[in-house]
Amino acid sequence: MGLLTILKKMKQKEREMRLLMLGLDNAGKTTILKKFNGEDVSTISPTLGFNIKTLEHRGFKLNIWDVGGQKSLRSYWRNYFESTDGLVWVVDSADRLRLEDCRQELSALLLEERLAGATLLVFANKQDLPGALSKEAIREALALDEIKSHHWCIIGCSAVTGENLLTGVDWLLDDIAARIFTAD
Amino acid sequence: MDEALEVGDKLDTGADKVQERLQKRHQARIEDVERRKEAKESQSVAEEKGEYFYSAFNKERAAVEELLSGCSGADRATMTHRLEEATDRIGQLQKFLNDSVLFLTQYDLRQAQAALQKLQSTLAEMREDALPKKKFAFKVRTKAADKASVTPAPNPDADTPAAAGGTKRDGATASEQYGFSNMSDVLVTRTAEEIQKQDVLLTHLTNCKVRLLGSPSTLHLKHIDSCEILCGPVSSSVFIDHCRNSTLAFPCQQLRTHHTTDTQVYLHVTSRAIIEDCRGVSFAPFSWSYPSLEEDFSVSGLDKNRNNWNQVDDFNWLAAGTPSPNWMVIPEADRKTNWDTEN
Ligand SMILES: Nc1nc2c(ncn2[C@@H]2O[C@H](COP(=O)(O)OP(=O)(O)OP(=O)(O)O)[C@@H](O)[C@H]2O)c(=O)[nH]1
Ligand SMILES: [Mg+2]
Repeated sequence: MGLLTILKKMKQKEREMRLLMLGLDNAGKTTILKKFNGEDVSTISPTLGFNIKTLEHRGFKLNIWDVGGQKSLRSYWRNYFESTDGLVWVVDSADRLRLEDCRQELSALLLEERLAGATLLVFANKQDLPGALSKEAIREALALDEIKSHHWCIIGCSAVTGENLLTGVDWLLDDIAARIFTAD
Repeated sequence: MDEALEVGDKLDTGADKVQERLQKRHQARIEDVERRKEAKESQSVAEEKGEYFYSAFNKERAAVEELLSGCSGADRATMTHRLEEATDRIGQLQKFLNDSVLFLTQYDLRQAQAALQKLQSTLAEMREDALPKKKFAFKVRTKAADKASVTPAPNPDADTPAAAGGTKRDGATASEQYGFSNMSDVLVTRTAEEIQKQDVLLTHLTNCKVRLLGSPSTLHLKHIDSCEILCGPVSSSVFIDHCRNSTLAFPCQQLRTHHTTDTQVYLHVTSRAIIEDCRGVSFAPFSWSYPSLEEDFSVSGLDKNRNNWNQVDDFNWLAAGTPSPNWMVIPEADRKTNWDTEN
């Protein structure tokens, strides 16, 4: 039995997943996490280090890591790559001026060996803002169609209204589950 | 821009360069004096403008009142016509007031706004009494955006007032970012109806004074030089990048400051302010005020009683214990207290 198979078996037992949330600062990562967990989002500060949240959803135990996206913190992102099943990339859809920055950071991440097996969910967040770009525009700006290395999906959402957060997470879980738990 | 490069390139013309730079600096100084003189003159103009505003405003107000009182007993078509005319004229009156905000005193502004509100509620009542609700989306608008009913869209070329406040406006703003850029030496005022719930972006402003009298969803400031930017309660974050030598004031949920130097921030922040790659940023509690501030606070949903203005995290200075040298609190004696009379 290969190491990978053992790992799969172990995870199958616990049905546990590790999700990593990254994105530029101000994208809304922490707000998404708290909203998804039904917590108050009005007191959230810019993240100085990281937050971990463990929650149950559809019988899965999710370990969600939310890491601060300030420029000075991005070099630490690598410390959180290990054993990531799903990568959630959060985009501020109204921040047109930093979309190029956003594209570059994402494409660098996708080259990371330790993230190679992870499923990618892109949240085009802040869709409630009048100036938000559509998820199609974000998809183009981030050149998502060029991604061949990962399963990916983009979902337009709003952490403030909660719109589509569940849809996104459910897609991610389904994709990961199909990969990990059904393998023999 | 390429000055350093040029100097390095052609050392023999170095002296000329210095000469040229001195000349430029001298020119700049003269212009500065001119500018200050102009500012003083515009102050006295402002007083005259105040007089003018008053008589014009009151005259028009009286005319609209008369128009409305002449409505009772009129037939339906006449009534519809008159109500629409009144709506139009009130809209224009509001615009006139908005455009005059900068040189009116707080007291005058409040008086004028109260007068307008009275006109509007009279108009709304008459409309409700006289005309079937279906025909006008006015009531819907009142519910959907309480602010919009107080200050109707100054959009005289919209077919009906309902269209101006309803679908048309929404259509126009869909996936459009609100804001302005590339301006210098101007005063800019924006009212609630323009910025309410919007994501506002201001870029490349030099030596401008900006008043945003409303509650935007977010505010982004980029490439700001020597400006004074005052904004009503921002319901989520304010994002600042490359700002220098400026004075800012706003309430918000988060403040994120980058590449900013020598800037004063009069802040109400309900979670935290952070700085990154900044120098000489100083903070004081938010102290600016304008007539609808209270209302805008409740629109924003921000907690008025929770202000962490002096808890600033510096991402380049995470050493616990020693305070960051990149920001400071403005000593009480040095804080700006007078926002509106100074121009
Ligand atoms: N309008 C709107 N604002 C949002 C949304 N999501 C987040 N925000 C606001 O955006 C700001 C930043 O949100 P955070 O969750 O702190 O962002 P973050 O990605 O965790 O940022 P870092 O911790 O610095 O990496 C906050 O003021 C949020 O209230 C959204 O869907 N719509
Ligand atoms: Mg965060």
